[in-house]
Amino acid sequence: MLGRRQKREKWILLAPALAVLALITLIPLANTLWLSFTDTRISALPEPVHFIGLENYVYALTDPDFQDALFRTLYFTIVSVGLEGVLGVAVAVLLNQEFRGRTLLRALIILPWAVPTIVNAVAWRLIYHPDYGALNSLLFQLGIISDYRSWIGDPATAMNMVVLADVWKNFPLVAYVALAALQTVPEDLSKAAAIEGAGPWKRFRSITLPWIAGPLMVVMVLRTIEAFRVFDIIYVMTGGGPADSTKTASFYVYQEYFNYLRSGSGASYAVLVAGISAVLIVFYYSATKRQTAGGAA
Amino acid sequence: MNAAMTQDPILKISSLQKRYGDVDVLKDINLSMMPGEFLVLVGPSGCGKSTLLSCISGLTDISSGTIHIAGKDRTNDEPADRDIAMVFQSYALFPNMSVERNIGFGLEVRKVNEAEKKRKVAEVADLLKIEHLLHRRPAELSGGQRQRVAMGRALVREPKLFLFDEPLSNLDAKLRVTMRTEIKRIHQTTGASIVYVTHDQIEAMTLASRIVVMKDGVVQQIGTPQEIYNTPVNAFVADFMGAPSMNLMTGTATREGDHVRLQIPTPEGPPLELVDYGPGPKTLTAGGTAELIIGLRPEAMTDLGMRASGIDGRTLQSADCLLDVVEPAGADTYAVIQLGGTEAVARLSADAPVAAGQRVPIAFDLSKISYFDIASGNRI
Amino acid sequence: MKRSLVQSILLYGCALLLAAFTAGPLLWLAVMSISAPTDLTAVPLHWIPSQLDFSRYAALLSLDGGNGERFLSALRNSILTAGGATAAALLLAIPAAYAFSRRQASMVLLFAFLATIMMPPITYVLPLYSTFSSLGLLNHTVTLIIVYTAMLLPFATWLMKANIDVLPVEVEQAAFMEGAGTAYTIRQVVLPLALPAIAATAMLSFLVAWDEFFYALIFTNDLSAKTLPVAIADFSAGRVTDYGVIASVGVLATLPPAILAIAFQKFIVSGLVAGSVKG
Repeated sequence: MLGRRQKREKWILLAPALAVLALITLIPLANTLWLSFTDTRISALPEPVHFIGLENYVYALTDPDFQDALFRTLYFTIVSVGLEGVLGVAVAVLLNQEFRGRTLLRALIILPWAVPTIVNAVAWRLIYHPDYGALNSLLFQLGIISDYRSWIGDPATAMNMVVLADVWKNFPLVAYVALAALQTVPEDLSKAAAIEGAGPWKRFRSITLPWIAGPLMVVMVLRTIEAFRVFDIIYVMTGGGPADSTKTASFYVYQEYFNYLRSGSGASYAVLVAGISAVLIVFYYSATKRQTAGGAA
Repeated sequence: MNAAMTQDPILKISSLQKRYGDVDVLKDINLSMMPGEFLVLVGPSGCGKSTLLSCISGLTDISSGTIHIAGKDRTNDEPADRDIAMVFQSYALFPNMSVERNIGFGLEVRKVNEAEKKRKVAEVADLLKIEHLLHRRPAELSGGQRQRVAMGRALVREPKLFLFDEPLSNLDAKLRVTMRTEIKRIHQTTGASIVYVTHDQIEAMTLASRIVVMKDGVVQQIGTPQEIYNTPVNAFVADFMGAPSMNLMTGTATREGDHVRLQIPTPEGPPLELVDYGPGPKTLTAGGTAELIIGLRPEAMTDLGMRASGIDGRTLQSADCLLDVVEPAGADTYAVIQLGGTEAVARLSADAPVAAGQRVPIAFDLSKISYFDIASGNRI
Repeated sequence: MKRSLVQSILLYGCALLLAAFTAGPLLWLAVMSISAPTDLTAVPLHWIPSQLDFSRYAALLSLDGGNGERFLSALRNSILTAGGATAAALLLAIPAAYAFSRRQASMVLLFAFLATIMMPPITYVLPLYSTFSSLGLLNHTVTLIIVYTAMLLPFATWLMKANIDVLPVEVEQAAFMEGAGTAYTIRQVVLPLALPAIAATAMLSFLVAWDEFFYALIFTNDLSAKTLPVAIADFSAGRVTDYGVIASVGVLATLPPAILAIAFQKFIVSGLVAGSVKG
């Protein structure tokens, strides 16, 4: 289809973008990989650097603290994204019904999405405040709790409180995607099933859900990738505490780098986290591909 | 005539092949066109006519072969360097630009000075009667007006060769006829060399100085509209060109002395018998009999016999036929007759007093009869 | 199908619950920002402020006083960073998107583009930190602009590609036939047609950059380059005794993206309508 000149042009058009991405992502990535095989430290003075092979990795993989951080990240990711999925679909189903104020409500739920992540963290931190927080006050006045609690000061509840804040900000994205998909479900299909005697739950399970599964899958995997690298909200709300109960993988690497200044060992953690992300990204790629292939059919 | 013969062809395509993967889209295309010709590429969808045009334009690379335009080898040149202009099916006007800028775009790119550009645009606008639209945007124009602007954009640069890609297919039937006349008028006044793609055989017949009939990436026949219509090289061309198309009836031919006896089976009884005093099928030797396809156009099957005029028993012969269906169409009445395994159409005069189920004498004009081989479909 | 009374009550109940869940935290943030400090430290809380107190906004929006200076310089830095990165990303993304859409650049490459931004920033941050440090570029707005450009670029390319895909290719072919080069065609023909898409892409890119925290936290350390998210984290972590100040900063930082987001919904629709009318 293309002239020779146009084929050459392709690379000219791509060159600036490729150059920027190479400089800001590819070269640093390679650099991080290299660092992970060394004992480099962040230091004002030049220090000798030694190639130490897999030593960092051996240490990282046997480090129980890092394993805990990975499991916390996994917990945060699964619970957050799971709740966002359930809430998102439920909200989409609700917003797909006819009722007064629907347009307003549809516009309203874009607001959490628009709130900057840091503002979200700060707002919920205020809400969770042990002495003057709105949550304590509300639950106390409703008679649900008899004593004020330290929601994010208690290792037992802190992570779940962070999850709640994250779900509040991110369910709208899932809801919008699900709503857009719901609006393409042919009415005839649902009517036909109703005539066949299928109840609402059965209709939802066997018709609606399979119909919206493709796009839903794509957005959920995307959210999983984002949730897995969670940092901002942890940094502001809990600083990884209390007692490391919210210290996630990204936060762990951050501390290894910038608190303990061990760049070599930090890099090995970073590479491991990146490896897990890469697997998720491959999932995202195949989900998207299946989705576009299904859409074309 | 002599002058034209000494001229170089404006377009010469030699051994052109185009493959997409394993699929041969165009197979060994050879054609040549003289300046001022109006060459129409016609064929059913998927025959490769648009791909061929795209190859000529340079928008599509060719797999092998050469393309010469005005004597220069343009095979590997960019579209812009080929000294050609193209009118697209969708008009492809620049929506964000005024009509004036649309027409002058090619001059703008070539940095022609402002006064010269204005003059040329005005000239073309005058030719196409769109002066009053120059300051409008394409979105504010009707389909026919857009069509004119697209032609204006092509005309203004005075290129060696114009390419038209189904330019009328987006217009309604009535406007299509008007614009067809308009294109013909422009061709006559400017003497431009035009390659024109269409799937509409009527457009091809009315516009072309020569027609290229294509099928499955192969050129079937190149000729004037009369040649294509009267002496189609095979059954496909016979069937595709002309509306209603040629009746292709299976029958037997026997050479008996100076004539050929034709027998065309009918479902209701004895076969229809005709005698061709012309040359007959070339491949048929004396005394030989062959089953073949007999081609007669609907206007060669008329009701002249009923009006008892001109039947001479040689080029015009009469035979009784059972009318299966009668379809009045205003100027004519078409009658369907089951003949030789096909629904043959006869073109009767509008006031012919006939009805379905009747047996009436039909006059067969054998002066323009065609014969095709059953296996290959080729003219014999 | 007609709804029964029970179904109606259930439906409106759910809708109200959703509205409260969505709007509640935001409303409370707004209320906090205009409540008197004593209302905010009452136990149990005074939900309705005893008096409206806008003094925090006045202080934040004036250059005298520490909080105002901190806020306003962060606002300036955020606007410069997000705006600069958005402009740069679009400048690079448009030719790249054109290559993907019209010059058959490999889709695998496009996914590789996208994969780079999906990786956790901790993968890239340390080498970048070392490089910028040795170049003396830490704590510069331009550093963040460079990093954010790379961060926005894949997404912007993806969006622009999807939008160029649906433009009529014949119009570009016509421009080539008329002798226009690719650069001229992109500028004069493609860009005007893609204008709504460019605006939408720019808005989304701006919002992403406005939200970024991690790189800003690590690459900046004072008023000259700190962006709003970093400044807000500082406010929150610092010894600000008046929670209303934190709430006010939050409200002010949320306003631009919230306004854009609500306007943006309509923009998509109007962009589509404009596009189809021009068709």
